[in-house]
Amino acid sequence: MSKKVILFSLQTFSTTGGIQKMTRTLAYALFHIAKQKEWDFKLWSLYDSRYDLMGQYLAPENFVGFGRSKSGLAFKTLRTAIHADIVVISHINLALIGVVIKILRPKCKIWLVAHGIEVWRPFNFIKRTFLERFCNKIVCVSSFTKAQMVRLHHSDPDKCVVLNNAIDPFMHLPVEFEKPEYLLNRYSLVPENKVIFTLTRLASSEQYKGYEQVIKAVGRLKIKFPEIKYILSGQYDSTEEMRIRDLISLCGVEEQVILTGFLTEKELADYFLLADLFVLPSKKEGFGIVFIEALACGLPVICGNADGSIDAIRDGELGTAINADDLDELEKTITTYLKKPMTAHARQKLQSQCLLHFNELDYMNHILQLINNEYAN
Amino acid sequence: MCRIAGIISKRLKAEETGEKVRIMCQALQHGGPDDEGIFCDQQTGLVFGHRRLSIIDLSRNGHQPMADADQRAWITFNGEIYNYIPLKQQLLALGAKFRSETDTEVIIQAYLHWGMAAFSKLRGIFAFALYDIERSLTYLVRDSSGVKPLYYHIENGQLSFASEVRALKKAGIATDADSAWKIRFLAYGHIPEPYTTLKNVYSLPKGEFLCWNHKKDTCDIHSYHVVQRKTPVIDAEEAREAVRSALTIAVTRQLIADAPIGVFLSGGIDSSLITLLANQQKHACLKTISIYFNEKAYDERMYQNLILKEIEGEKFAHLVRQKDFEEFLPRIIENMDIPTTDGINTWFISKYAHEDGLKAVLSGVGADELFGGYPSFSRIKHLKTLHGFEPMIFRAAKYFTSDRFKKVSFLAYNHPTADYLLLRGHYIPSDIAKILDTDLNYVEDILFSNKQLPYISNYNEEDAAWFETNLYMQNQLLRDTDVMGMSHGLEVRVPFLDEDFKRLAESITLDVRFDDRQPKKLLIDSFADILPRAIWDRSKMGFTFPLQQWMRENAEINDESLYQGKMAQSIVRNFKKNTMHWSKVFALYQIRMHE
Repeated sequence: MSKKVILFSLQTFSTTGGIQKMTRTLAYALFHIAKQKEWDFKLWSLYDSRYDLMGQYLAPENFVGFGRSKSGLAFKTLRTAIHADIVVISHINLALIGVVIKILRPKCKIWLVAHGIEVWRPFNFIKRTFLERFCNKIVCVSSFTKAQMVRLHHSDPDKCVVLNNAIDPFMHLPVEFEKPEYLLNRYSLVPENKVIFTLTRLASSEQYKGYEQVIKAVGRLKIKFPEIKYILSGQYDSTEEMRIRDLISLCGVEEQVILTGFLTEKELADYFLLADLFVLPSKKEGFGIVFIEALACGLPVICGNADGSIDAIRDGELGTAINADDLDELEKTITTYLKKPMTAHARQKLQSQCLLHFNELDYMNHILQLINNEYAN
Repeated sequence: MCRIAGIISKRLKAEETGEKVRIMCQALQHGGPDDEGIFCDQQTGLVFGHRRLSIIDLSRNGHQPMADADQRAWITFNGEIYNYIPLKQQLLALGAKFRSETDTEVIIQAYLHWGMAAFSKLRGIFAFALYDIERSLTYLVRDSSGVKPLYYHIENGQLSFASEVRALKKAGIATDADSAWKIRFLAYGHIPEPYTTLKNVYSLPKGEFLCWNHKKDTCDIHSYHVVQRKTPVIDAEEAREAVRSALTIAVTRQLIADAPIGVFLSGGIDSSLITLLANQQKHACLKTISIYFNEKAYDERMYQNLILKEIEGEKFAHLVRQKDFEEFLPRIIENMDIPTTDGINTWFISKYAHEDGLKAVLSGVGADELFGGYPSFSRIKHLKTLHGFEPMIFRAAKYFTSDRFKKVSFLAYNHPTADYLLLRGHYIPSDIAKILDTDLNYVEDILFSNKQLPYISNYNEEDAAWFETNLYMQNQLLRDTDVMGMSHGLEVRVPFLDEDFKRLAESITLDVRFDDRQPKKLLIDSFADILPRAIWDRSKMGFTFPLQQWMRENAEINDESLYQGKMAQSIVRNFKKNTMHWSKVFALYQIRMHE
């Protein structure tokens, strides 16, 4: 039976963060499932405009970008979305849409995607009502997020399913594991430098990512490893830049820390190759796509042990989780990794292990199975 | 200095490649009148061409393409390396051997000693191709401020490049027009990088290099330049001191030349400052070039004279009359290489500088972008408020007849390009669709599918500076300045864009760097002791010609029958009634000339 599927998102293409990346892969998967099954699939994005679409993920006819126009979205929802069979709400802030559609078309299956911090806080009336009465399934990106949904919002555990993120189907996956020469040159590095790498948004409003801890750890490690370098990447605001620079000079690591700012998708894999270790001892990752991206380039990972990151490293199989507040543990773990540099062969093995768990094909099958289950019940 | 060209092709016969490069060099002759050189490497199918304008080491030793003594690497280079002397000393200490006094040889040795890391050590304005024989790689490299142009074309495993688009066309390498160039041109008033008028001919982004692998016939493009931000300057006094010393260093560094060098003086703040600083170094040897008009409203002589009386060297002032404009307009359009609605001013002043015997001049380009000299710096703040409204309501603005209000319809697009075009654009998409008789959706797709722009959210002076520097200055001012200067064999140098000066300016916190009431206040305050008050305490003039009047009186531009379509003809009628800006009609006129 043909189905009409709509994925609602706040923003998918015009900015790049974990949620946006996950939505791109999800849209890609749904687009291909729909093509196979001859279903009708659409991605509707409130803040993107139609020019923002990245054509590799889905065709222009499957995408509507409302360019911030809430009235445009409301109008189109009332006109078209009420004929949908499955509606996937990719952010809790779009709960009202779920409520409206469900009221007008009770048969429609409404799913919510729960990522991370956006659902780990108290909800307002509409969000609560949506969750309790109108939402058929909560797709959680990690077991941790699922546990939070049950604990904080008393969601029915049977309604919550875990769908771990997958590697972006268009990520450039390396086959050789050399450090890219152009990046070594760009930062005046030599292959002998031991490079620790963090990629995250550096926002003064989100101080839970743990890179401060890494800066402090580098301050200690530079004695043991004089050739150590710490590349801290991601967009930053000026307040945060000042704060980080102060910390850097306080720790005396001006020579070791390299702030790169925003990285382009095109060069992302090369940065993972440049590094010897990826470290992000964050406390509030819903899943942490960046971890699986690092692993997909054969880069070992250290993450925090108190959030969704655990799923990304398969509970220790692919990386090491530590207590993000424990500087000694962080220093010790980094030391262990740096003392035993990975060979190209080992990196390749790590890559294939990661792809075994987080590949797009399994991801697609998992989604299809969830849809089938919905209709089997 | 100079113009460069080249082809790497295993497909073409060696003679054929050589011939094409020769044709390209001929097409670029105006920018390199002093010498020509060709280098062929039959094995890889590589040919480099060079037209020389000698400024440093005027002897035959500066002949290009050039190789090191052991012929490990070949280069064809356009531009100047201002820090070549300290780099040469470092290289000598490492054991490098030099045969000439040129900066060109310093690039080769820097590469042979430091590899790709050499590129970011260079301070200057440059575009070059460097062939590393041993590793079988060729690099195309462009300076980090994008002052010197470099266009490339890749097709069927063949790479071609040149300093101007016309060369690629003349040699028959790229002949098809880019179907979207007219749309971009009408929206921006120029063709924004990386696009050109030709299909598959792109401009290499500033601060990036293209690496061609001769074994695989493939290439990668990456940036070599990293903006390593300095510790923020938060104190106003400290900022003034730093600006003063960094600009003095930049001007001194850029005065390096073995050929006669001068300064463009318009009478505004920026060129006055550069002139005064250059005078402190060159004294009687500094020549100044300025322009004046019979039209009183545009006559800046009063301000120019305030500066000139402080200057020791030779002063050249030239009158530009309407009849000069009439006489030279066809040549100006021919010299543009790519259509643009600006550059007429630079064309004339470069012409006179050349006639006065100069080979290089300093210009004040870049200060407005760094220190908030444009109205966009205050206007951008309103965009944030306006973006809070439902975008749909702005759609109706396209029905306004007044240009100013029409542009409000850009807000409906909610896109950084649309924000820029609201501040700086020429025609709105619906008018472009009508002028070109094409589909509006297509026009919108062309204009807004650009994914290279950053996400703008603060709408503060820093965002305005980003727009002005990376879009307006890059695509219009710098490109026009280079191509117009070069059409007279004149190199235009831009001290405000010196890497170290720019880095300093960008590290100054916004509240110190910009002032709501006085544009460029920090720059003015930094040089309060030498810059006369009358120069800065007046409304901004810019380097402006009386073009509204001249074009309205130009028979051809005003000939309605020249233009096709009702829309274009109505624009010309409005221009005649003086309710339309000259640049919009000039854009239509150039499109007509290209048909």
